[in-house]
Amino acid sequence: MPSAETSSSTAVRGRPFREGLLALEPPRLLGSRCTDCGAASFPARAFCPSCRTGAVEPTELSPDGRVHSFTVVRQAPAGVEVPYTLAWVDLPTDRVRLMAQVVGVVPEAVALDMPVALELTPFGTAEDGAELVGYRFRATGEVAP
Amino acid sequence: MSPAPAHVAGAGMVRFGKYPAEVTLESMALGAARAALADAGAGLGSVDGLYVGHVFGGPVAGQRIAAQLGLDGRPVSNHENYCASGATAVREAWVALAAGLHDVVLVIGVEKMTDRVAGGVRPDPGDLDAAVGYVMAAGHAMSARRYLADHEATREQIAAVAVKNHAHSVHNPWAQYRKPISLDQVLGARPIAEPLGLLDCSPISDGAAAVLLCNPAGLRRLGIAPTGPRVRGVGLVSGSVQTGLGDINAEDVSRRAGKEAWRLSGVEPGEIDLVEMHDCFTIAEIVRMEGLGLVPHGRGAAWAAEGMTALGGRLPVNPSGGLLSRGHPVGATGVAQVCELTWQLRGTAGGRQVDGARTALAYCKGGTVNGTDGGSVTTVVMTA
Ligand SMILES: [Zn+2]
Repeated sequence: MPSAETSSSTAVRGRPFREGLLALEPPRLLGSRCTDCGAASFPARAFCPSCRTGAVEPTELSPDGRVHSFTVVRQAPAGVEVPYTLAWVDLPTDRVRLMAQVVGVVPEAVALDMPVALELTPFGTAEDGAELVGYRFRATGEVAP
Repeated sequence: MSPAPAHVAGAGMVRFGKYPAEVTLESMALGAARAALADAGAGLGSVDGLYVGHVFGGPVAGQRIAAQLGLDGRPVSNHENYCASGATAVREAWVALAAGLHDVVLVIGVEKMTDRVAGGVRPDPGDLDAAVGYVMAAGHAMSARRYLADHEATREQIAAVAVKNHAHSVHNPWAQYRKPISLDQVLGARPIAEPLGLLDCSPISDGAAAVLLCNPAGLRRLGIAPTGPRVRGVGLVSGSVQTGLGDINAEDVSRRAGKEAWRLSGVEPGEIDLVEMHDCFTIAEIVRMEGLGLVPHGRGAAWAAEGMTALGGRLPVNPSGGLLSRGHPVGATGVAQVCELTWQLRGTAGGRQVDGARTALAYCKGGTVNGTDGGSVTTVVMTA
């Protein structure tokens, strides 16, 4: 759908705003997965929060999510532009839930269980001048622009 | 085995509110401390140590207070657990008294926020959720949205918490706001994080509260009979890392905090006559009461709307007006709750008195940590 927002292809030229958080091409969130019980975490952790015993290894997470809950933030500390839609996004394939902004849908049209897909987004500039890259989710499917 | 109870020899507050620059963190703390000492009829010379809870007070705020109060040279410690800071200071004081390390200690919760926090509190900038735009109101708004969908609850039922707590606050001289509000006012207020509006949110406030706690040796030193309210136990838990796609309102952290409260105090949940609950947002009162197991799962919103948690109801919650009305100077809140419990258990709470209050609980939840179900949760159990 048409959007005035900066496209993800621009953002790919930078580096993740935190090391180990995401892969740029293709865009993927990087987590950890327990080799014992299979539970996945985002961001990656050095232990398995589910069984506490298994070893963990790095894993790429599915880019396909759905909105578990959301809010439209209308008031935020100085320097933060409002409104924006913030959501708990579930990645059903990996059984991972994370917090992220959702774009590509007007606040009035966001709904529970709405399908969303991962995309990259500019995330400011590093002290060394490099463009930083963050993540958010874009509404997919039949929703209002 | 649980540590011995701590007696509340004195309790005092300065009224919460928005104060000008000349009212400093130190001056508010002094006001509350002197009120607590006067309430106990105790002099500074009887105090063995000072425990101070605050978040934004800066380095060694407790020692700055001690130097102005006249407790310089004594052991002073500063406690930060975000909104549970004051209650955490109470816990550490209780432990020290039970251990016999001290016999009489002063606990102060204090915060000067209005000149340094604007637009709402948020996690530490280093937290991943903060990086993607999380503010506290947003987390509670997402909790409310899911609660409405999962429990066939209504927006009006959630708003009823604000109406109830503001109705209570009319009788609390220490509250920042003492005006009743209508359901329409809550529903029509400026949206902050949908579905929550301004009147679903506790304010940013200044204030201080203090209690003088002692063990049996301290009671003898102060010449006080062991008949007043006592702190039976203070639970403390932290959020655990969540996995899977479970209920965001499961409040396992509250369940665990409740379990600690019952274990440490020897009190049964069914004995609780009233609760001072951390209603930083309307929905928070609902899900936390459910998490503690004091209200049936999924029924908290209905209970609020039906008056079950109002003064005169089955289980009064926030007779003081709660954070929504009393105000929320974050480090002071947990100690203010203990002051309210003290007055309720003495039977001196005036128009907001819960009839026959013998056993009470105060709950604080402080901060958030990415990936977990909370920062810190405290549960203070007191008996008359
Ligand atoms: Zn595991």
